[in-house]
Amino acid sequence: MSEKSKQAAKSKSKKTSSYVPIDSPIDRLHPMIKIYAIFCLGIGCAVFPFLWLAYSVVVFLFFVAWKAKMLTKFAGFITAFAIPITVMLLFIQGLYSPKNVTILADFGFAKLGLEGVLYTFKTVGTLLVFLGSFYLMTTTTYPGKLVTAMQDAGLNPKAGYLVLASLNVVPQIQRRIAVIQEAQTARGVEVTGKLKTRFTAFLPIIGPTVMSSLIDVQERGMTLEIRGFGAKGVKPSSLTELNVSPAEKAIKRVLVTFLILCIAFAFSWAIFTRVR
Amino acid sequence: MKIEVQDLIHTYPSGETALNGISLVIEGTTPVAVAGQNGSGKTTLVKHFNRILSPTKGRVLIDGVSTTERSTAQWAKKIGYVFQNPDDQLFLNSVRKEFEFGPKRTGIPPEKIEKMLPIVADLCGLGDKLEIHPFDLTATEKKFCTIGSVMMIDPNVVIFDEPTCGQDIEGNNRLISIIRYLRNNGKLCITISHDMKFIAKNFERVVVLCKGQVLTDGFCKDVFAKPTILSQSFVSPPPICRVALGMGLKQSVFETEELVGCIVQNMKRRNKK
Repeated sequence: MSEKSKQAAKSKSKKTSSYVPIDSPIDRLHPMIKIYAIFCLGIGCAVFPFLWLAYSVVVFLFFVAWKAKMLTKFAGFITAFAIPITVMLLFIQGLYSPKNVTILADFGFAKLGLEGVLYTFKTVGTLLVFLGSFYLMTTTTYPGKLVTAMQDAGLNPKAGYLVLASLNVVPQIQRRIAVIQEAQTARGVEVTGKLKTRFTAFLPIIGPTVMSSLIDVQERGMTLEIRGFGAKGVKPSSLTELNVSPAEKAIKRVLVTFLILCIAFAFSWAIFTRVR
Repeated sequence: MKIEVQDLIHTYPSGETALNGISLVIEGTTPVAVAGQNGSGKTTLVKHFNRILSPTKGRVLIDGVSTTERSTAQWAKKIGYVFQNPDDQLFLNSVRKEFEFGPKRTGIPPEKIEKMLPIVADLCGLGDKLEIHPFDLTATEKKFCTIGSVMMIDPNVVIFDEPTCGQDIEGNNRLISIIRYLRNNGKLCITISHDMKFIAKNFERVVVLCKGQVLTDGFCKDVFAKPTILSQSFVSPPPICRVALGMGLKQSVFETEELVGCIVQNMKRRNKK
């Protein structure tokens, strides 16, 4: 494949899903292992009673992002999510949580409580683990490979298509909005500038987006049917073949062990605190 | 109205160069067709005329003013653009409202809108469908609804992107009458099309693009007489023209009567010999 066609393929795949084709060990990893990672790491951190675990996993995710050659993008995503959500939760939980007993600061109109602050950091940490790992999974996994992996694991092809469609829907709508925006500006709708101008441009852009998306869904449904999507009694074949390597099996065992240990520790900790 | 394109280069964010040094001048009211294979840069070129796209290098001047000096919405008053897919444009709940939307946004006085509406509606064949929801129209009618909504802004230039796509004979005839109406009213019409029969019959000038450059530009009669050059952009002259060229006629022929006339003349000449 020439450099130019590679670039074209790259830009095309960028347009149809959030997948970024960069060759890396994380990209090559079996998609089911990545899904295991999301759930094992996420649930593990959610049940674990201390907040250091979640942040250690976030640091580990940064290492994974570095291995996947997308550290900057990942750091940007995490920061863009973490800062506003932390501020918002600190305000709600830190100042007004009913669990607040230990007062850290008194602002007059409200008091900042330690329990609320800890709860905030625990929630943000768990959310970052879930979102960060999910972000890494979607950006490093070719959607076709993901669906094949899920179908190999016993997922119904119809449900598999649903997964694929939901992964593709956001980039597709973004592309459609860009075209609609062009069409409406050509009719005299100003889409940039003052807030009021932008607000009045909302209806001319959202109207065709919703209507054409509905038409698109209807047409997509029909084209899927005529290509035998709903055929019964047939085992569908796939162009993508996936094998789980011994190393991947080991990673899976480590992830499951991590989850079991977290749950076991959470249980013992709950019993221990109650007895005490 | 004068459109000057000077050494225009356009590179998309993906790195693909769609236009590679285009220079041309379009002026007057003679309808101009833009042809060329898929990916030759036709749509990218015309999207520069109302600044939907801005040049990476070079300039596009409208009556001496660079397109980058105004926004697309401001250019809408002068340059109308009809998109290929009507579903990207229609959003109001009646054809009348769609027709009135553009002129209201561009500040056309209500009296002028009222005066123009029946004329444009009749031209588009939607005179008795003004109160219908655009999504209840047929695909052809929807297309004319978008054409009408752009014509209502009364721009000096109207750009059509593949207007013949999916049209039957009636639709094509309606389109021809719209192009004639625009010309008779001092408007410039620029049309992208793959339909060479449609181009040959309705346009005097044709610009053929190939890989982001102008392959050939001139009168239809001259351009279609060069099938070897045209084949570089996978464009072939209309069938009747190919028959005439195959017979060894030197000029391009677009009408049956014209071809018959040439054959009769040739026969007479042979009989004399």
